[in-house]
Amino acid sequence: MKKIRIIIYLCFFLISLSVHGLTQELPSNQECRHCHSNPNLKKVLTDGRVISEYVDFDLFYTSVHKKQACVYCHIDATNFPCKNLRKVNCQRCHYKGNLAGAPDLIKYKEYGESVHGRATALGDVKAPMCQDCHGSHYIFDKADTLSRTNKEHIPQTCGACHVNIYSVYKISVHGEALRSKHILAAPSCADCHGEHNIKEHIDPKSKVFLTQVSVTCARCHANMELIKKYDIPVEPVETYRESFHGVAIKFGAKTVANCSSCHEVHAIFKSDDPRSSIYVDNIPKTCGKCHPGASENFAKGKIHINPAKKEAGIIYYVSQFFKYLTLSVMLALIIYIILDLRKKLIVKRKGEE
Amino acid sequence: MEEKMMVQRFTRSQRVQHFLLLISFIILIITGLALKFHDSWLGKLVINLEGGVIARGIFHRFAAVLLIFVAIYHFFYIIFTRYAHEEFLLMLPKFKDFKDAFQNVAFTLGLSSEHPKIDKYAPQDKFQYWAVVAGSFLMIITGLVLWYQTQAMLVLPKWAIDITRVMHSYQGVIIAVVILLWHLYIVHLNPKRFPMSRIWIDGKVSLEELKVEHPLEYERKYQGVADEKN
Repeated sequence: MKKIRIIIYLCFFLISLSVHGLTQELPSNQECRHCHSNPNLKKVLTDGRVISEYVDFDLFYTSVHKKQACVYCHIDATNFPCKNLRKVNCQRCHYKGNLAGAPDLIKYKEYGESVHGRATALGDVKAPMCQDCHGSHYIFDKADTLSRTNKEHIPQTCGACHVNIYSVYKISVHGEALRSKHILAAPSCADCHGEHNIKEHIDPKSKVFLTQVSVTCARCHANMELIKKYDIPVEPVETYRESFHGVAIKFGAKTVANCSSCHEVHAIFKSDDPRSSIYVDNIPKTCGKCHPGASENFAKGKIHINPAKKEAGIIYYVSQFFKYLTLSVMLALIIYIILDLRKKLIVKRKGEE
Repeated sequence: MEEKMMVQRFTRSQRVQHFLLLISFIILIITGLALKFHDSWLGKLVINLEGGVIARGIFHRFAAVLLIFVAIYHFFYIIFTRYAHEEFLLMLPKFKDFKDAFQNVAFTLGLSSEHPKIDKYAPQDKFQYWAVVAGSFLMIITGLVLWYQTQAMLVLPKWAIDITRVMHSYQGVIIAVVILLWHLYIVHLNPKRFPMSRIWIDGKVSLEELKVEHPLEYERKYQGVADEKN
């Protein structure tokens, strides 16, 4: 075993020596800069699209890759002019146990199983790879507001491809909170859909699969801290789980409502907003999606009710009445049985005497 | 030992009605309580045994239809047959029932040495019959409202449906409690009857038992017969 290991190390050593030898002849960043610091440098793609080849080197030198040479990533940029470069493969450095000291993120597996990764593997050129979300030259830590994966920027990043969804999300209650009010507790795309492990909504492993929706929403909407801080209605998730919809979905029914069936997927608004699917005038239409012929009476009364809480109003009092009625009936019958048995015992003893 | 003389107390139609009622009640109670207590392990187990929450609903509605059928049949049975009409008249509450019930309590507590003299139906029998009638009626009405809630909501507001659900749910529990604790005690677990009275199968009861338990019925129907025999 030891011998094999030594041989492997030797091989690595030789390969790195040869790589080192190659890089000696490769262009330096300075050389790249000659052309690529020109803001007008453009390239026409085969499909007619024009893309800029300008690189803001000043910004690049503040990114996490500031110490890297252009050719470390653009390995095929060996000759001038460097034409038809292939897409950069981030995995050249970012793998577990790499010697370059790059963060050994093992998100690739998650990405490979995701809807994006699978599409890429099948040859879909539109599907995003690492650089499409993380950026290419200007990668920053996600805590940095310049980062494309910074929480406040994620909607724009995803929205670059998912244009229609982005246009709906950005005016929704979640989008407004995150973008206009800078409330970082509000969900961006990744909070509901995941980051590298994004699955299609029809995939049972998806965070937004119909049985998972209430779990995903509950991460915030059943979080007492957030509920108090942002004055979110108190127990929508709990009451949903106790309702027929919630119980049915728990036991595997596929045709009952989850949170987004009523509150919409991306176009979520507060209930007092006329754009909301649960605005009082819109409720018959919303309920009518599953209950054909739903009347305006569907809107007369609260939807999320907990009969055990006083806020439920008359429903609370009716259920309290029945609760005590049930208890007293039980108690009365138990007393009756005990007394009856006692009497029978007495009669029997008398008979025996 | 001398063979007991058995007398017919319930007709076949009554026994069939009772049997259908029993089947529908058992299915309704099992499927209903499973939904009410869906959080408990037993509720989960029962719902899964029933084939999921949708199948559970189908069983529950199937049994409900059976109950509705029995109720309608019973209604016409009372209206159109002389026997059942007479039985129904015997079932109507009378002032004597309150007296009897009071005396029964006194007897049980040991305050009175005399058991009330009962005709065919004792006050507790009548009470149970009327409880079943009223309970079934309420459960059928509330159940139908929940079954056809979209249609019901053409008239009723949503909060009324919520109250209906609470009522249906709790009434179901109360009915289950009454049957388990009272009815099953009287006909099964009661030391006198254990393991069970056979009356619900053949409708027969021994003349001696009738004489003790229902002296007025005995006097009314069999006094003459018994005297002749002697």
